Amino acid sequence: MDLTYSPEDRAFREKARRWLEANVPTDDLKTLDERKAWHRKLYEAGYVGVLWPKEYGGWGASPMQQAIVQDEMARVNAPPAINGLGIGFIGPTIIVHGTDWQKGRYLKKMLTAEEIWCQLYSEPNAGSDLASLKTRAEDRGDHFLVNGQKIWTSSGPIADWGILLARTDSKAPKHKGISCFLLNMRQPGVEVRPLKQITGSSLFSEVFMTDARAERRDLIGTLNQGWEIAQTTLGFERGSNSLGRVTRYAIAFSQLVRAAKELRRGGRPLIEDPVVRAKLGKIYAELEVQRYAGLRVLSALNRGESPGAASSITKLSYTEFEKRYYEAALEILGPWGQLVTAPEEFEEIDTSSGEPGTWATAFLWSRAGTIYSGSSEIQKNIIGERVLGLPKEVRADRLKA
Amino acid sequence: MNFSFSSDQQLLKNSARAFLDEHMKPATVRLLWDDPRGESEALWKEMGELGWLGLSLPEAHGGSGLGMVETAILLEEMGHAALPGPYLPTVLAARAIEEAGTNAQRMRWLSAIATGEARATLALLDADLDWRPEGTRTRAEKSATGWTLSGTKRFVPWAHVADVLLVPARTPDGLTLFLVDPAAAGLTLEPAQVMDGATRLVTVTLDATPVGGDGVLGAAGQAGPLLASLLRRGAVGAAAEMLGAARRCLDMAVGYAKVREQFGQPIGSFQAIRHKCAEMLLEVENSHAAVYYSAWALDARAEDAELAASVAKAYVGDAARRVCGEAIQVHGGIGFTWEYDLHLYFKRAKALEAMYGDADHHRELIVRRVAA
Repeated sequence: MDLTYSPEDRAFREKARRWLEANVPTDDLKTLDERKAWHRKLYEAGYVGVLWPKEYGGWGASPMQQAIVQDEMARVNAPPAINGLGIGFIGPTIIVHGTDWQKGRYLKKMLTAEEIWCQLYSEPNAGSDLASLKTRAEDRGDHFLVNGQKIWTSSGPIADWGILLARTDSKAPKHKGISCFLLNMRQPGVEVRPLKQITGSSLFSEVFMTDARAERRDLIGTLNQGWEIAQTTLGFERGSNSLGRVTRYAIAFSQLVRAAKELRRGGRPLIEDPVVRAKLGKIYAELEVQRYAGLRVLSALNRGESPGAASSITKLSYTEFEKRYYEAALEILGPWGQLVTAPEEFEEIDTSSGEPGTWATAFLWSRAGTIYSGSSEIQKNIIGERVLGLPKEVRADRLKA
Repeated sequence: MNFSFSSDQQLLKNSARAFLDEHMKPATVRLLWDDPRGESEALWKEMGELGWLGLSLPEAHGGSGLGMVETAILLEEMGHAALPGPYLPTVLAARAIEEAGTNAQRMRWLSAIATGEARATLALLDADLDWRPEGTRTRAEKSATGWTLSGTKRFVPWAHVADVLLVPARTPDGLTLFLVDPAAAGLTLEPAQVMDGATRLVTVTLDATPVGGDGVLGAAGQAGPLLASLLRRGAVGAAAEMLGAARRCLDMAVGYAKVREQFGQPIGSFQAIRHKCAEMLLEVENSHAAVYYSAWALDARAEDAELAASVAKAYVGDAARRVCGEAIQVHGGIGFTWEYDLHLYFKRAKALEAMYGDADHHRELIVRRVAA
């Protein structure tokens, strides 16, 4: 056991830090073009596609170096790269399961954010039970005709392409009749409607597909292999953002401490209240434990070990922690914590969503993490069945299958 | 960067598990619970022969020169077995003697501890139960032959079997650490009975108890940093032991949930039980990360070593209590019986939660460090 960084990783961090300090935009990025330009700059410097193999335009570096980039970006509150879903998981899915034609057509443009990608998985009636999805793709020879509705699509309005799960065999058991496609979002049969969330902003959309076309050459894997493909890639690269995430929490924590020193209650600063101190101590202990656990996962990833179902523990751990964190912050701040525009006394904070905002925004956003990418309840099922080996539950759909 | 154990560390863990599985079965733990002394002298000797007692002592004193990570590995296994005995206070005291002792003090105690001939303990708490070294109330006054100590030390672990007590006391120079002979005049021991039979706590009363001039450990008046360092090691060590107890409770709960049937199915197939077990695993794995990160940080003298020790004690104390408690809940009625072994580990974890600074104490230390 040795938790010191290797000399190469220390040098890599030093270089990334210097580059970011010199290049991070000083003004907010307002337009899509500005965000794409920043993305390209990051890519050319070697800080996007860090984990991707060199033959597909990536940098072929280690999970540790990927984590270091995320960590250094968090440290200077750098705007994120734009094509996160594409680079984090759709691209790797194409690399693992795609044809040579698909790799040649899509990967480089994804990496450079020339084309933006979104994910078309969840449906209004297929959330945790994703395999019950109803969107149909009918085989028409050289293409499939797609009809149905998707929801919770990030980057919907700016997406050029989407990775789609659709039913191609309605008679097969539900897990066995799903196929995976790449769908052109810029066609008449695809309509994107932004969805307003409890935060007041719209980072997610609904997507309606009416006689939309998915080309046969854009089928990933074989027909009806979609569920298997989705399963193998859902957990891809969970863990390499662990350091950056904790750094963001820690920066917000120091802002919380600053606020607790400035705000007064009962004639003294909040920070002198033993109840406030106990809450701060508890939250910081948990925050540090997230960091230690992140290092543990990262060191395993870096040795080429796949966390498999254990990545559910990581996801469950940090999303549930994030809720407790912002709940505690709002308890400490009282009504100050509920302001949705930053008062002069406070700076904006990083809300862990990619959007800056106030403590209230972060508090609201923290409700999303335990729902998206498999809710906490689904993660606990996975941990129970696949990590602890507990017996499967008796379920109506399993009886039928 | 490697968070996994080295092959030597894994070997130590496996051999400790095998040894304790064989020699510290639950039935043996129960015998020791009922034993007035409370620990096995024969087993202590064997632990000496295995090199466990001198694990972190220098080779010149019969030790192996290993670090806190290895010590935590052993302590986790001891917690997993609910092993009764003064291992943690003895190795902490030995470490302090090694760090601050004179040559004569080191010669007198270290080899004896490494071979299992001597036991030691720490009398850190006064009557007002303040874990901060500066809260010490016991006083030491200069005498013709050295010092006399007066005061009351509460909840001293295993003082009734110790050959030497490390006692902090106030002197005109400031806080000073003394090596006190438990047979010295004016010293009385009053064992208390606590709910964990593997924990023995003793009230030590010092009434003008004489200590020779050679009984001062470290520089007179300068004991603060040494005591703080002892408490940090104690906190990490206790966290490791609680982790072991929690892991045992989790394993028992999962094992039971696979075979216990109600409503015609194993109860582990019900989400109410399965989700509980998943939450328990999450806390056990996070506790593992906290224990071994903090142990490594002490060995590596990392700049956050002090913070990490408090983080580990605060987090693991809460986590182990919850995990062991939920294990009783998963078991239902059988988990509440004296005959079923679960309570051995539940009580072990609970007892350690209060030692070397409880979670509240360590949370305050954390805030002082990060919100200064």
